[in-house]
Amino acid sequence: MTAAPILALRGVHKSFGPVEVLSGIDVTLLSGEVLALIGENGAGKSTTMKILAGYQPATAGRIMLDGKEVRFDSLHDGEAAGIVLIHQEFNLAEQLTVEQNIFLGRELRRGLLLDKWRMRDLTQQYLGRLKCRIDPDTPVSRLSNSDKQMVEIAKALSRDARVLIMDEPTAVLTGSEVEVLFEQVRALRAAGTAILFTSHKLGEVAAIADRVTIMRDGAVVRSDMVAAMTEDDMATAMVGRDVSALYPPKPGVAHDARIALQVQGLTVPGHAQDINFTLHQGEILGIAGLIGSGRTEAMEGLCGLRPATISALQIEGQPLAIRNTADALNNGLCYMTEDRKLRGLLLDKGMRVNLTLQALARFGRILIDRRAEDAALAQAVKDFDIRAGSADVLVGNLSGGNQQKLLLAKIMQSEPRILIVDEPTRGIDIGTKQQIYTFLRALAASGKAIIVVSSEMQEIIGLSDRVLVMRQGRIAGTLDGDAITEDAIVRCAMGVGADPDERAA
Amino acid sequence: MSYLKTILAGTAAIAIGTAAMAQDTKVIGVSIPAATHGWAGGMNFHAQEAIERLEEVYPDLDFVLATASDAVKQVNDIEDMVATRNISALVVLPFESDPITPPVQSVANSGVWVTVVDRGLSIPGIEDLYVAGDNPGFGTVSGEFMRSQMPDGGKIVVLRGIPTTIDNERVAGFEAAIEGSGIEIVGMEHGNWNRDDSFNVMQDFLSKYDQIDAVWASDDDMAVGVLAAIEAADRQDVKFVLGGAGMKEMVKRVMDGDAMIPADVTYPPSMIATAIELTAVGMTSTAPVSGTFTIGSVLVTPDNAAQFYYPDSPF
Amino acid sequence: MSVLGPILALVILIVIGAALNGNFLSAGNINNVLSRSAFIGIIAVGMTFVITAGGLDLSVGSMAAFIAGMMILVMNAALPTLGVGIPIILLGMLVALIAGIAAGMLNGFLITTLGIEAFIVTLGTMGIYRSLVTWLANGGTLSLDFDLRTFYRPVYFDGILGVSWPIIVFAVVVILGEILMSRARFGRHCAATGSNEHVAHYSSVNVGRTRMLTYIMLGLLVGVATIMYVPRLGSASASTGVLWELEAIAAVIIGGTVLKGGFGRVWGTVIGVLILSLIDNILNLTDLVSPYLNGAIQGVIIVLAVILQREAKAKG
Repeated sequence: MTAAPILALRGVHKSFGPVEVLSGIDVTLLSGEVLALIGENGAGKSTTMKILAGYQPATAGRIMLDGKEVRFDSLHDGEAAGIVLIHQEFNLAEQLTVEQNIFLGRELRRGLLLDKWRMRDLTQQYLGRLKCRIDPDTPVSRLSNSDKQMVEIAKALSRDARVLIMDEPTAVLTGSEVEVLFEQVRALRAAGTAILFTSHKLGEVAAIADRVTIMRDGAVVRSDMVAAMTEDDMATAMVGRDVSALYPPKPGVAHDARIALQVQGLTVPGHAQDINFTLHQGEILGIAGLIGSGRTEAMEGLCGLRPATISALQIEGQPLAIRNTADALNNGLCYMTEDRKLRGLLLDKGMRVNLTLQALARFGRILIDRRAEDAALAQAVKDFDIRAGSADVLVGNLSGGNQQKLLLAKIMQSEPRILIVDEPTRGIDIGTKQQIYTFLRALAASGKAIIVVSSEMQEIIGLSDRVLVMRQGRIAGTLDGDAITEDAIVRCAMGVGADPDERAA
Repeated sequence: MSYLKTILAGTAAIAIGTAAMAQDTKVIGVSIPAATHGWAGGMNFHAQEAIERLEEVYPDLDFVLATASDAVKQVNDIEDMVATRNISALVVLPFESDPITPPVQSVANSGVWVTVVDRGLSIPGIEDLYVAGDNPGFGTVSGEFMRSQMPDGGKIVVLRGIPTTIDNERVAGFEAAIEGSGIEIVGMEHGNWNRDDSFNVMQDFLSKYDQIDAVWASDDDMAVGVLAAIEAADRQDVKFVLGGAGMKEMVKRVMDGDAMIPADVTYPPSMIATAIELTAVGMTSTAPVSGTFTIGSVLVTPDNAAQFYYPDSPF
Repeated sequence: MSVLGPILALVILIVIGAALNGNFLSAGNINNVLSRSAFIGIIAVGMTFVITAGGLDLSVGSMAAFIAGMMILVMNAALPTLGVGIPIILLGMLVALIAGIAAGMLNGFLITTLGIEAFIVTLGTMGIYRSLVTWLANGGTLSLDFDLRTFYRPVYFDGILGVSWPIIVFAVVVILGEILMSRARFGRHCAATGSNEHVAHYSSVNVGRTRMLTYIMLGLLVGVATIMYVPRLGSASASTGVLWELEAIAAVIIGGTVLKGGFGRVWGTVIGVLILSLIDNILNLTDLVSPYLNGAIQGVIIVLAVILQREAKAKG
């Protein structure tokens, strides 16, 4: 490949106050090449991307564009140079339509009026290239996450980007959508675009990237052709230790284990019908299924977070009714949301306030005991290995992995006996994943009952003692022991005999 | 309660009236500002009372009353009256002169009789009849009273109303009347014709000046606030407070010989009643009523207070 | 969050006031300023909770006028049976508190149960209460019976050891409010609700009830403020409490509470209220600028106080 470097960082440093987050990194993007930037949460990937795109200035070091040093004083300078960054949290105006978003700030005009007809036509073309069938007039707020991702990519297409930077583009996409995205990435690469993306899924890196740059603790630890590395090499370089034993061993559930939770006839209108299952103490029960199969909604209904009916519910043999989250909590049942940023944590608050919010009653009847809170935080930081610069840091400034660990710590403050975790490791690095898996298994070993809802097949298989597969709001099958295989789960999730190229996500 | 009833009854009567005797009945539209402060409340009361009384006296006349809380609403009211009620005469107390002038002018051009009350229009000669209050006179009468009470001069503070032409004319008249008398205005602030605001302003005046001989509150609502502040501070140096407009509680105190309220100066809200009545006469007879009719400001003293005391009025 | 901005603005104002007029720091003037701050202040403490929980209430000024009107009507009506004495004053106070709670519940019900925008609901009730008091007063002024007023007067003008009752009540409300906001579960729940109501919901916080309680509390405090207000002038009219809602909201924001919710501090609100009152007081005590410009001075200082806060925040 004789491609010329389009955009490069040379010896770039970045500090926020006294904290140095990048210490002299070199990154090179070549035209017609896909570069994967990988590393644990907090390794400095996001900052690197922001500096590349002109969102943030570097503290020291040079940015080279076409071999010449440049300064990006604003995001606008970056865009003018043909660099487009697609955020992990989308940068779309929710109330505007797809077409309005794609042409936002660069509306086509005919005379004084907007040329709506042409903009809609072009929007349709871009979306067509992405095999995405959404109406350009749909407000973005009504789109699913994967459609929003497509709109972001269509926006980048419309800008004829020379450099396309994507922050975890596949995190919210289903298997088939990932394929469509990759096709587009290949087409862009063939057209000479330089592409940089981040991902926690090493399989994807191997599948699409030409070259990989691996970061750890604000420095580049390795940069090499993908062909020269195995996935294990990548993981080891990222974490700095061997992570081949990602999942802790399953000791098996004792025969005489007591039933922790028995659910009969759980129905969440519009999402789930007639769900029945039992959960034993010391057991980890996986719930698998496609996105939209009603997994999350069923669990939220069970915990009183949304309207639901249950014909019979027993916790530890006691029949009871759960009308709201307080009832669930009082009976030792607790749900950890899949969406840590929008539903799990107050991003503009500190860790202490977040940690104790759900279990505030335990920190004083009317007045809150600050000292007890601080002690709890210190304990949680230690127990869950939460790495924050200081205890006062706003939770929104923590890395995804540390946020997830804080969320788990917060849920544990109410000392649940039955814990339901939804997508417990979404968008976090492999090292933190391993810590969370170990924690969940230890919790089960101490006699607690755990439900893991996940879209990640390997996680369900690696963690669960038993698996429920949901399909279209119903339980499509239960798998046990050695029967828990990817193939079996996919068959259940799709309904037997379904199109085999549609994968469970 | 009677408020609502009057309007409902009035509306019903008009509806029936226009249907049954459209030929015979003439409709007089009355457009006034809403009762947002004491004087306007009194004016509303007198307007309603006059309408009730005149509807009995003149069976051939119907009245439409609209109250507006701002100038734009008043313009809308006037347009509605012309468009839907086919009024023969319009009695209007303009919220503000400038914005109300063009619509009233077009009403006058369409042949409708126009009576303007209190605030004049910006262009002279539009109206058939102008029933005017005398704002410079109001200031002059107040100033002359001050002069008579303080022949050796003294220090006074002045509370002004909402910054408007009305307020400026009154203050100018007052200042001209006390010129050369040795009376010194040591402080002047806007109390906005509001009890609470004038209470605060007077408290601060009392902190600021060790000696205040008298207060020209220029309005009875403001006088209430001023009196409360003086009473709370327990200041003996302030000999009296002169308000204005003729609020019944204040007239009563004058009548009872209260030393703090030796007099009041009228600016009668009942001028609206005079205007409506004159308009009614103009509509039903050949008596000449056009021209300008100025209602002077009169000094209310214990001797004549009984004539100005309307216990039933809300003001 | 910056602590310095509003305090700095307040200190500057006090220095300016003291330099311009010798009576500024006199006990009498301080008592005056604090007493008249008490109405807005008591209301603003309630407003702090409403705004912190992500709400807004535009109706408080009208509500105060309406409650004052109700108090006066009920007390005048009860005068023949109860006579002048403590029972009738207690009756009036009870009416104010009940009316305040009821008005707060109405706002809270429309906002939390029916899910209508707080801005629209309270804009609506603002007009309703304002009209109702005008109607009750027949367009004029409702005045408390003279003897009753004389008996009730000390509630505004007297006090303990030279500190008047409104100041004492204000101080108690502030202390309780500060504890509730910064040390109690309720305050934490308000901040969580205003910061992100979904997170609050998923954290087992009863979002609807928290919001409802903030409106009820604000209504109750409007009642308390009215109890202090009525004895001052003994009257209520359509012009009572005009723009109090904006003054209360301005005080809350100057004090550092975030308008979109999620963070509130009661003591900051107190600073905000004092800043607003002192501006008026200083302008009255001096002849620095044309009285026509009073509003402009106030506007400049409000914006400055908030900028100071922002600057300090960016640095810290």
